[in-house]
Amino acid sequence: MLTLLARLLRALNSESGAWALAIAFVLGMIMGFTPLWRVHNLVILLIALLFRVNLSGFILSFVICSGLAFLLDPVFHQVGFAILSAESWQPVWQGMYDSAFWRVVQFHHTITLGSLVISLAFAPILAILSFWLVTQYRRRIQVWFNKLKIVQALKANRFWAVYSNLRG
Amino acid sequence: MEQHTVRRSAFRWPGLVAFLVIVGLIAAFSWLLLDTILKWSLERTLGTLNGAEVNIERVEHQWVPLTVELSGIQVTDPLQPDFNRVAVGDVRGELSWEQLLMGRFHFEDVVSTGIRVHTPRATTGEVYQLPSKEQVGGWFGEGMDKLQLSMPSVDEVMARVDLRTPAAVAEAKTSFEQQQERVKAVMDKLPSKERLATYEAELKALTEGKIETPVQLQERKEKFAELKEKFAADRQALQEFKEIASTAAAELKTQMEKVKTAPQRDLDRVGELLQMNSQGLSEITTVLFGEQARRWADYMLLAYEQLAPMLMRSADETALQPPRGEGIWFSFTGSDAPPDFLIKKARTEFAIGPTVLDVDWANITHQHQQLGQPTTFRARGENNALWSSLQLNGELALTEAGFDARQEWRVQGVNLARTALSERSELAASILSALLDSEGNVALRNSQFDGNATLRLADMVIEASAENQWAAVIAKALESLQRLDINADLKGELMNPDFSLSSDLDRQLGQALQAAAKDAAKGELANLRQRLTSQSDGFVGEYQEELTQLTSLLTDAENREARLQEMLEMKLQNQLEDKVKDKLKGLLGNG
Repeated sequence: MLTLLARLLRALNSESGAWALAIAFVLGMIMGFTPLWRVHNLVILLIALLFRVNLSGFILSFVICSGLAFLLDPVFHQVGFAILSAESWQPVWQGMYDSAFWRVVQFHHTITLGSLVISLAFAPILAILSFWLVTQYRRRIQVWFNKLKIVQALKANRFWAVYSNLRG
Repeated sequence: MEQHTVRRSAFRWPGLVAFLVIVGLIAAFSWLLLDTILKWSLERTLGTLNGAEVNIERVEHQWVPLTVELSGIQVTDPLQPDFNRVAVGDVRGELSWEQLLMGRFHFEDVVSTGIRVHTPRATTGEVYQLPSKEQVGGWFGEGMDKLQLSMPSVDEVMARVDLRTPAAVAEAKTSFEQQQERVKAVMDKLPSKERLATYEAELKALTEGKIETPVQLQERKEKFAELKEKFAADRQALQEFKEIASTAAAELKTQMEKVKTAPQRDLDRVGELLQMNSQGLSEITTVLFGEQARRWADYMLLAYEQLAPMLMRSADETALQPPRGEGIWFSFTGSDAPPDFLIKKARTEFAIGPTVLDVDWANITHQHQQLGQPTTFRARGENNALWSSLQLNGELALTEAGFDARQEWRVQGVNLARTALSERSELAASILSALLDSEGNVALRNSQFDGNATLRLADMVIEASAENQWAAVIAKALESLQRLDINADLKGELMNPDFSLSSDLDRQLGQALQAAAKDAAKGELANLRQRLTSQSDGFVGEYQEELTQLTSLLTDAENREARLQEMLEMKLQNQLEDKVKDKLKGLLGNG
C-alpha cells in the first residue's frame, strides 16, 4: 500500500498528464463499483493496460471504490431494480435479454446495472474533478507541500526511502 | 545542442501483453477450479430451492459435448434435517452450448441413478427456510400417541358411572308410599260388604212384601228413592277409589318395571364405559399403517413432493432472492421464448430396497406455459424381486394458478419384507411378510390434491407384542389378520396434504376390545350384577305383595260397583205398581 501511495505521489509530482491520472481514477472507480467478475471489467482492464493510463491511480481508485461498493451495494441494487422494472424500458430489456452478447454482459443483474449506470453517470464528474485537483496540486500545492516541516520529517523515514527508490 | 522532444505513443504495448497474461491466468484459474465453482454454485442454488442444505460430493465436467456429472447428492429434508428428502447417487446431463450462451440451461438428456427417499444423514442438515407450522403437521395427526393403551378398571368406571338401580329403588319406594296414602284416603269412603248386604236386604223387603194400599205403595217408592240416593253416593265413592287405585296400580307397575330393569341398564352402562377407552382406536388403521403408507406415498407422489416444491420455488423470484448486497437476476423471457431451464428427457433410477425402478421423464421445467407442454413421467416395472407389476403415469404443469397435475398407478404383488408398523414399547408390531396390491389416482388442481387409492394387503404375517392386556388385544387382533383392505383418501394443499386411511380393522379391533374389556371385568361385573339385582329383588319382594293387594282391592271395588249398579238399575216402581194393579183387579173381580 505504501508503495502504491508512493507511486501515486510520484505520478502527481511527475510530468504525467493530468488527464492520464483523472482517467485512471475513473476507470478504477467503474471497476471498483461494479461486480468484479463481469465482462465489461475486462474491457476496462484492457483500456487501463493498453493505454497510457496511470496504473497506480487506477489500482488505488479500484481498491478504494471496491471498499465503498460494499456500502453502496443497496443503492446500486435499488437503482438497478428501478431501471430494470421500468415499464417503458421493458421492450429494450427483452430485446437485450434475447441477445447472447448482452446476456454475457449480465445487464439483467440489478447491482451490475445499477453500479454501472451510477459509475458512468459519475465518471465525467470524477474525471473533471480529478483533472482539476491534479492541476491545482501541481500548480499551487506541490511547492508549498514540499516545504512543510512534516513533509521534511517524513522524507527522513521509510516512506521517503521507498519513494526515493522508486524515483531511482 | 539540439533538444528533441519525443512524443510518447498513446499505446502501452507491454500492457496488452500484461492483459493477455491476466486473462490467461483467469481462464486457467477458472478452468482448474470450474468443478469446485460449479459444486458451490449448485449446492447454493439447489439449497435455496430446497429450503435446506444440499450437499454434492463431486462435480465433474466435460467440454465436448458439454456434460456435467454430479455424484453423491444429498437434499436435506427441511422438516426432518436429520434425513435427506432425497438422495441421488449420480446425475449426468448434457448441456446445450447454444442455449447456455443465451443464459438458458437446456439439458438434452439426463440420467440419474441411485435415487432414494428419506435416507438418514451423517450430519444434521442446515435449514435455510423453516417450513410453516401447517407443513410441519404430520399427515397422520399425532400417530401412536393417540392410542390409549390402558385397560380401564371397573372401579374407575364405577367412580364415573351414575348407577340407576339404587335411585330407581328409592324413587319407586317414594312413589309407593305416595300412592298408598292416596288409596288409603279414599278407601275409608268405600261401602262395606255389610252395607251392600243391608242394601240388598232392604231392597228385597221393598220388592217382596205385600202392598195393600196406594199409600203403602207411595211409602215404598219414597224409601226406594232414598236407597237409590245412597247407592249413587256409594257408587261415586267406588268410582273415585277405582280411578285412584288404577292410577296407583299403573304407576306402581311402571316403577316396579323400572326397578326390575335398572340393574341390567346399569350393567350395560358400565360395559359402555369400559369400552369408552377404545374410542381412540377408531383411527387405528391410520395410526398403525399411516407412517408406512406415507413412505409408500413418498414414492408414489415423488414427482409432486420432491420436484413440485423446487419448481415452484424456482418460479418464485421472491423465494430465490439472495441476501442483501447480491442483487437480483431479472428474467425478461417472452411468452413464446424457450424456458430458462429445461430437461428435455431424463431417466431416473429409483433404488427401492434391492430393486430399481426406472422412471422416464420429459420436459422438466418450471415454465410450462412457455414450453406449451407439461412435464410427463412414466414408470414401468415387471417381475422383479419386489413386485410383479408396476405402472405409473402422470404429468404436471406449473400454471399461474398453481400446479395442475394428474397421476395414476397400479402396482401388484409387492412383496413386503419385515416392515415396522409400531415400535412403541407398549405395542410393537411388524409385518413379517405380505403381498400388497395398490391402485389409485390423484389429481392436483390449483395446488390442491384430490385423490384416492386402495391398498390391499394379503397373505399377511404380522408379529406383534404388547406390554399390557389392553394392547395385547390389539396385538392379538393384528396377528390374526391375514387380509386387510385399506382405503386412502388424499385431499388438501400440495405441501400440506390431508391423508386419511380407513379399513375394516377399526371395527374388528373395536369388537375385540369390547369383548376383552368385558372379559377382563367379568368378575367385578358379576359382583356388580349381584349387588344391583339384590337391591332390585329386595324391593320387588317387599312391594310386590302390596301391589297385588292393591290390585285385589281394585277388583273388589269393581265387584261392589257392579252390585250397586245392578241394584240401581232395578225397576222397583214398575214391580210395585204391578202388585197394586193386581190387587185392585182382584178386588174388582171378586166384587
